[in-house]
Amino acid sequence: MEAIKKEYWKDKANKALGISPEDARITKSYLIVAFVAILVGGLLGLLQGMNRAGILELPVWLNYYKVLTAHGLLLVVVLSAFFTIGYFYAGLSHSLGGLLPKVRKMAWIGFWMKIFGFVLAVIPILQGDASVMYTFYPPMAAAPMFYIGLVFIVLGVWMLAFGAFINVANWRKNHKGQHIPIISFFATGVFVLLFFGSLPVAIEVFYIIPWALGWIETINVMVSRTLFWAFGHTLVNIWYMTAISAWYVFVPKIIDGRRWSDLLTRIVVIALVIMNITGGFHHQIIDPGISESVKYMHVFMSLAIGFPSLMTAYAMFAVFEKTARKKGGRGLVGWYKKLPWGDVRFLAPFIAMAAFIPAGAGGIVQSTNQLNQVAHNTMWVVGHFHLTLGMTVVMTFFGVSYWLVPYVSGRVLTKEINKLGVIQTIVWTIGMVLMSGAMHWVGLLGSPRRTSYSTYFDNATALSWDPYLFFLAIGGTLLMIGVLLQVYAVFHMMFLAPKGETEFPVADVEEDATPTPMWTERWGLWIVLMLGLVSMAYVIPLVDFIVNAPPGSPPFKTW
Amino acid sequence: MKGIYYVLLLYFFLMLPPVANLMESVMIIHMHMQMTLFVIIGFLLAPALQKRFPRFFEEWNPNGIPGILLFVIVIFYWTLPRSMDEALNLWYIELFKFISLPFLAGVPLWDSWKKITASLKNGLISLFTLLFILMGWLYIWSPNQLCNNYLMIDQITLGWGFLLTAVCMIIYLAYSYITDFAKTV
Repeated sequence: MEAIKKEYWKDKANKALGISPEDARITKSYLIVAFVAILVGGLLGLLQGMNRAGILELPVWLNYYKVLTAHGLLLVVVLSAFFTIGYFYAGLSHSLGGLLPKVRKMAWIGFWMKIFGFVLAVIPILQGDASVMYTFYPPMAAAPMFYIGLVFIVLGVWMLAFGAFINVANWRKNHKGQHIPIISFFATGVFVLLFFGSLPVAIEVFYIIPWALGWIETINVMVSRTLFWAFGHTLVNIWYMTAISAWYVFVPKIIDGRRWSDLLTRIVVIALVIMNITGGFHHQIIDPGISESVKYMHVFMSLAIGFPSLMTAYAMFAVFEKTARKKGGRGLVGWYKKLPWGDVRFLAPFIAMAAFIPAGAGGIVQSTNQLNQVAHNTMWVVGHFHLTLGMTVVMTFFGVSYWLVPYVSGRVLTKEINKLGVIQTIVWTIGMVLMSGAMHWVGLLGSPRRTSYSTYFDNATALSWDPYLFFLAIGGTLLMIGVLLQVYAVFHMMFLAPKGETEFPVADVEEDATPTPMWTERWGLWIVLMLGLVSMAYVIPLVDFIVNAPPGSPPFKTW
Repeated sequence: MKGIYYVLLLYFFLMLPPVANLMESVMIIHMHMQMTLFVIIGFLLAPALQKRFPRFFEEWNPNGIPGILLFVIVIFYWTLPRSMDEALNLWYIELFKFISLPFLAGVPLWDSWKKITASLKNGLISLFTLLFILMGWLYIWSPNQLCNNYLMIDQITLGWGFLLTAVCMIIYLAYSYITDFAKTV
């Protein structure tokens, strides 16, 4: 009786709180930009895949490296960040009783700063003055306007991060002694990482701008690379944390289950926040200037990040099994039949999770010193991040869109769109398995990354890559079909689907769950621990790079 | 109680010559990581020791002050450049490091922390903040090599490590000043 009463009040409160039109507009705007970015970025990806397979010759005015830079920036910086922000701002609005008026204002200022910054960055890319790829560290130099654009993007992100902090702090002030609602807890973790992770890249860009302008002649390449990867790696984990927030909080509700352990969920968030930034070093395993013993010790740090992922895997399958058994599922694995496979809101995140098993394993391979030597500059790495970002993260985002978009638009998910979503999920899965699988394999055979198509004067080894590259192109084509289906579904749900109420599906914890201790709320302490760890991790190489600095590098334009 | 074996395993692992040599090969890892890990081993062993010898801790550390004093003296000793050098050159000083950091620093700090007042805790953190700033200044700007076993660059790195840790402690002190921990215990 008590449980029924509790649920009744919760439902009523959820309905009454709903999402205000002002807050919904913020999320909708962010989602529109995200899905337009995937449309354009996806198209560029297709061109790239075709070119890489030797099927399509790109015109001189649209060369491979220009397309590669725009594809990376659109999908890595625009799609992921805009989706993450739109999604978490809806979560903050729902769980904290609406956004504060000043936070709303900050969200809009941040939005326009990001758009302005993006436009500034895209102009030199289109002009062919910034084909430096997403990894925009020296010695390759873009036009100064590209970096100035990046400054505005970072400032926009900070605006959003502080908006979230203000809203959460205000809620905590009015709800003393209570836990931050779980989705806002995830949001806090993500915005903490967005802020602290973008600090190094802000320093890097401020250092690059005078160099790109010619005010200083040379730049310390190793310092720049290290600062870049402190950000680059954190960004990767921000997407990942956004995806797992959906797995922990929403997926259990969609399958009519409950969250497995609130304490475990919060510990995973805290662990990811504390340990994340230093993971940047595993992107620098073949960099010179860092001694082997330091790299070796960093392997421990990188593998430590894998630990919360194992906890997540355990928690997810515990939820699935428990829920399926409650519905009458039997057998050692036979219970899987009771899961709602026809519901895209479950199917897409589930495949995303399953993809993380090989994706995470591939990540561990790359973090290992010796194996990294083999795979580092090959297509293997490209395959890896298409499996993690393109499958684990993006498929979760797709799954989320089937309830988030109707929720913020005051519409409902129809059976037809659900069916379309299931088809899209299947197309995307086949496309990504083909493309990413081919990339991994051809990488092991030695095909380099960041390189347009070449047969290296018809060298036999290079020619042997062709069949695999062909699979890459087929996968890329299927993915483009997936993009079109997905973008259609999103805009249909936003503007054309029947009006109605869609729930914001936050799952409850188990009835017999033990209360979560309050120490999990000590955000200041987690941040201090994170800063301590980052200081310890970076002090050795950075002092070495600066004290024993080489003369530095002038800007290079290699394209 | 099974956990105690894992702690002991970690303790012996850290003392294995190849592991100890690797950690001691970099000055800052020697001081800020290896030594810290031995103090943490002390934390992990402390609950079992408290359970085994309750009278001892009651008698010798009733209000936490003796334990804190012992901790401070031991840690101050290990921040001296000479003590690090000797740990590398003389086997019995190395042995003293392996024993003193868990048992004369980690265990007493664990036993004392819950017994002392909040202001004493903050006072202790402030004391270490000042010490770390001083050590940072010494290691970064000393014109001479302070340890025979480490190069100047190692010394400067350690100095920056001290200063950055001091900054983190200042942030923590500011945070604890504006936050009521009673609500987040």
